[in-house]
Order: sequence, then C-alpha cells, then structure tokens
Amino acid sequence: MRDCRNAESFYLYLEEELDPSGRREFEAHLAHCPSCRDVLAERRLLHEAFTSLPPFEVPPDFALSVMARIPEAAAEKTGWLAALASGLAALVVGLLGFYILTGESLSDVLIAVSRSLGSGFGRLLPLFAKLLKVGDLLLDVASDFMAMLGKGLVALLSSLGPDGIGLILGLGLLLSVLLFFGAKRLLSLGEKI
Amino acid sequence: MSSFSEDSTLVARALKGDRKAFEMIVRKYEQPLTNYLGRMTGEREAALDFTQEVFIKVYCSLGSYRPAYKFSTWLFKIASNHLIDHWRKKKLPTLSLDQPVDGDEATLTPQVPDPGPSVARKFELAEIRQKIERALDAIPEAFRELFVLRHVNEFSYEEIADIKSLPVGTVKNRVFQAKEMLRKRMEGS
Repeated sequence: MRDCRNAESFYLYLEEELDPSGRREFEAHLAHCPSCRDVLAERRLLHEAFTSLPPFEVPPDFALSVMARIPEAAAEKTGWLAALASGLAALVVGLLGFYILTGESLSDVLIAVSRSLGSGFGRLLPLFAKLLKVGDLLLDVASDFMAMLGKGLVALLSSLGPDGIGLILGLGLLLSVLLFFGAKRLLSLGEKI
Repeated sequence: MSSFSEDSTLVARALKGDRKAFEMIVRKYEQPLTNYLGRMTGEREAALDFTQEVFIKVYCSLGSYRPAYKFSTWLFKIASNHLIDHWRKKKLPTLSLDQPVDGDEATLTPQVPDPGPSVARKFELAEIRQKIERALDAIPEAFRELFVLRHVNEFSYEEIADIKSLPVGTVKNRVFQAKEMLRKRMEGS
C-alpha cells in the first residue's frame, strides 16, 4: 500500500515524471483512497493554472529595437584581421607576378628582395627620387587596383569566415618563413664571397 | 530541421556577421525570455529592458557558445546570471537554495494530503491564475525562478539543472516546495 504522506508524488504524477512502476503504484493507491483522489483533483486544477499563466506582452518592434542596440561587432572585431590578410595577400600576388613575368625561381625572388632590403639606405635614396616621379603616374592606376583588390578581399574574407582568415594567416606565416630562409641564404653567400 | 540544429545554424551564421540570423534568434526567444524575466522582476517594462540587455550580452558572447549544448539552456543561463548580477548590484536580499526558508515554508516537507477546503474548488481557473501571479511575487526568488523555468518556460528538470548548475533531484524538490508555498499563500489569501 502506498504511503499517503508523499505529497510530491501528486505533482510528479501530473507532470508525468513518475517512472512506470511508480505511476502504477500511485494509480493503484488512488483506486482505493478517496482522500488522495480529492487531493489529486485539486492539484490537477492548480497544475493547469501553473502551466497556463498568461504571457507578458512583447511589442511587435521589439526585435528591431534590440538589433538597433547591437553594434557592428563582427565587422569591428575582424577589421584589423582583414587589413593584415589583405596586405599579406597583396604581397603574395606581387611575388607571384614577379615570378611569372621574370621567370626567376621563388628562392631567387626572395633573395632579390632580401638583397634589395640589405643594400643600404644611402643607395635607395636616389632610387626613391626616381620612383617618386614614376609613382605619380602610377598612383592613380594603383589606387584603383588596390581598392578593387581590397573590396574583393573583404568580400572573400566575409564569405570565408574565421577558418578562411586562419588559412590566409597561415599562408602569410609560411611566406615569412621563406623570406627568413631566403635572407639567411643571402647572408651565407655573402660570407663565401 | 530540429530546433536544436536550427539554433546552432543561426548562431553559426550570426558569428559570420549575418545580423538577420541573430534577429531570427531574438524573434524566437523574445517571448519566453520576457515571460521568464517578467515573472522574476514583476514588471513588464523592467522585463523588456532586461530582455534587451540579455540579448546584447548573448550577441557579445556568441563566440563562447558550444553547439554541443542546447542554445536555449545557454541563453537562460546567461539571463539567470544577469538577474543575479542585477540583484547583487542593487544589494537586494538573495536567498541561496541551500539556505533554509524562513516562516512556514521552512518546514515544507512531505506531508499528509490536506483534506481541508480545496483552493481548486473555490475558484475558477482564471481567478487561480491571478492568485498565482500575486503569490509568485511573495515567494523567495530562488524558488520562484525554478518554478518559472519549469512551468512558464516549460524546461525539463534536467535542463533546469543545467541552467542553474544544480542536481536534478534538488531542482525537483525545490520546484515542489515552490508550488507548495504558492498553494499555501493562495489558501491564506
């Protein structure tokens, strides 16, 4: 015979939270206990009221007001990443272009880059002066090209998501390693000479 | 598509910067979240403010959501913590679930079914609901919260245990105690 003192069972029974044997035992007890049947009827009405409390009214434009308060967080957070990835991608494109146009191997390109970087600030000054003259002419064309490249990269990055950005950063890291070993080789060649 | 995987998809899209996806999350959960926060604060306007704040918090924390867990559980955990922070800042007295409750509720233990005058027989369902609303404001918030999560938001006991980081048995017992507190207050009113 079931113990009438277990008041929690009434709620668990109504919520169908009793296991099958507990449920059978409870129902068997109810069959011959009028007092528990009365209590169950009362708890059933209460349970119905508990589970049908009216909702709070939410304004129809509530979601829009939430969205208005949410900053462009995603774009802000990845802005610097996009700039870095764009720079690295532009460098890769430039090196590949040089490789295709000159036919030099990638290691030769890297050595040439390292050599030009190590040739001394004094030797570069006249070169910069000449480059400035040519640069004026090329600037307009280059800025348009870079703007297009930038837009393309931003679109590419937004479609790639965090994984794609990670991949590009990995590519940049690989390039840095190649540059490092290229410079190392240049230095070792210099020692031999 | 199940609600579980649908939520995960929306979160993944929102993380890629798709604001429309997050708006869909807001539309899906604005009502249940306002119901929960409304019952906890007792005021509709305050509930709407809290709901907005919770959604902003959720948006800023989306990166920490793990799709292995149910999104609604994660969302309500943030909402529950937000309420606790608010009460702490306001220095309102909060009641730990481990503390005994003062008054009659402290002695809420399994008891003989009360054969006295029945609340259910005295009032119609609508009147009972009104009484429940009033009684809810009077019971300690730690009990009220579990009751609301169970019967207003219809979470399972296991989900509530996840949200509140409590054992399932404790949640069941506390929800039962909350209901008995409500019943006793309604009988006394």
